[in-house]
Amino acid sequence: MRQGDGVKQNDISRNLDISFGTVLKQCLFLIIIACLIGWVINYQLLSKSFSGELRIEIQKKQLADLKVKAKQVSPGVKFIDLVSAKKLYDEQQAIFLDARSPEEYAKGTIYGAIGLSIMSVVKGSVNIEKLIPNKNALIVSFCSGGECDAGVELAEELAGRGYTNIFVLGEGYPGWRDAYYPVSIPKRGVDKL
Amino acid sequence: MKLLHNDYLQLAVRLIMGGLFLYAGIGKITAPMDFASMIYNYKLLPDGLIGPVAAAIPWIETLSGFCLLAGFRVKDSSLAISGLLAMFIVILIISAARGLDVECGCFSGVERKVGFLAIFEDLLMLAGALFILFFDQVKLAPFTFFTGRNNS
Repeated sequence: MRQGDGVKQNDISRNLDISFGTVLKQCLFLIIIACLIGWVINYQLLSKSFSGELRIEIQKKQLADLKVKAKQVSPGVKFIDLVSAKKLYDEQQAIFLDARSPEEYAKGTIYGAIGLSIMSVVKGSVNIEKLIPNKNALIVSFCSGGECDAGVELAEELAGRGYTNIFVLGEGYPGWRDAYYPVSIPKRGVDKL
Repeated sequence: MKLLHNDYLQLAVRLIMGGLFLYAGIGKITAPMDFASMIYNYKLLPDGLIGPVAAAIPWIETLSGFCLLAGFRVKDSSLAISGLLAMFIVILIISAARGLDVECGCFSGVERKVGFLAIFEDLLMLAGALFILFFDQVKLAPFTFFTGRNNS
């Protein structure tokens, strides 16, 4: 072995023989550098986050994305806005179906809404025809707003079973609650009947 | 045990992990609002922290992924990635236990809901990152090839 190779080998061995503390320090340095780059480049995202605008922007974006997705996947699905849904609610013209999981439903839902998770419908554990015999009944399905598509999936499932008047409340339960419309903590959903 | 010390296996794991994290990071950097939206869906952070986290995590992933690919600061990067993955796994388990039905936001262009598969993927990647951290001798690396020096 040449002398140069020996020196190089020693150099590599020394570099590999570093303590965990050193690795941790250098790792923290890498994280700090990455954070600084990210924060400088996305300073607008940060300022929106601090001012509270980001949440509103995210909700709007998610709702728009959900509508685009619903248009592509299930073109027959119709959306209803909060004000129109509230009008139907006040006039007691529509049946409100909560498509979220029984756990989410149990934490709070639109007052009087029926908990009918999309999974229970798909699995066939709930007899929808018995629950809503009138196929022309006005139905409003919803979930957690733009972030979830269970409301759209439930509307699609119901349409497939012959129901004709189904709307999706895009803003979902969070939008309804944030508008200070009537909400309740239900005792049990249809899933557990 | 002998296999764990195989230089080519170490290189392969490092390149796969580096490539995955570089891809994951760049995907999120190009669409910061999408990533912020996914963080929001988890409902674990206050509004004021969503922006800073959404801006920082992609850059940690990108820098770490690049370092792994280049064979530069390999141990530091694998430790950062292990930390990130451990955090993701805890978040995924909490979210699955809460019954959240949302996109995991792991990789752009890959639709994967929070659940067992996402947790399993992260556990697999964590095993890869820990393998690099504890076993990788970084004998084979593009950085070493260019500079003749190992800086990991």
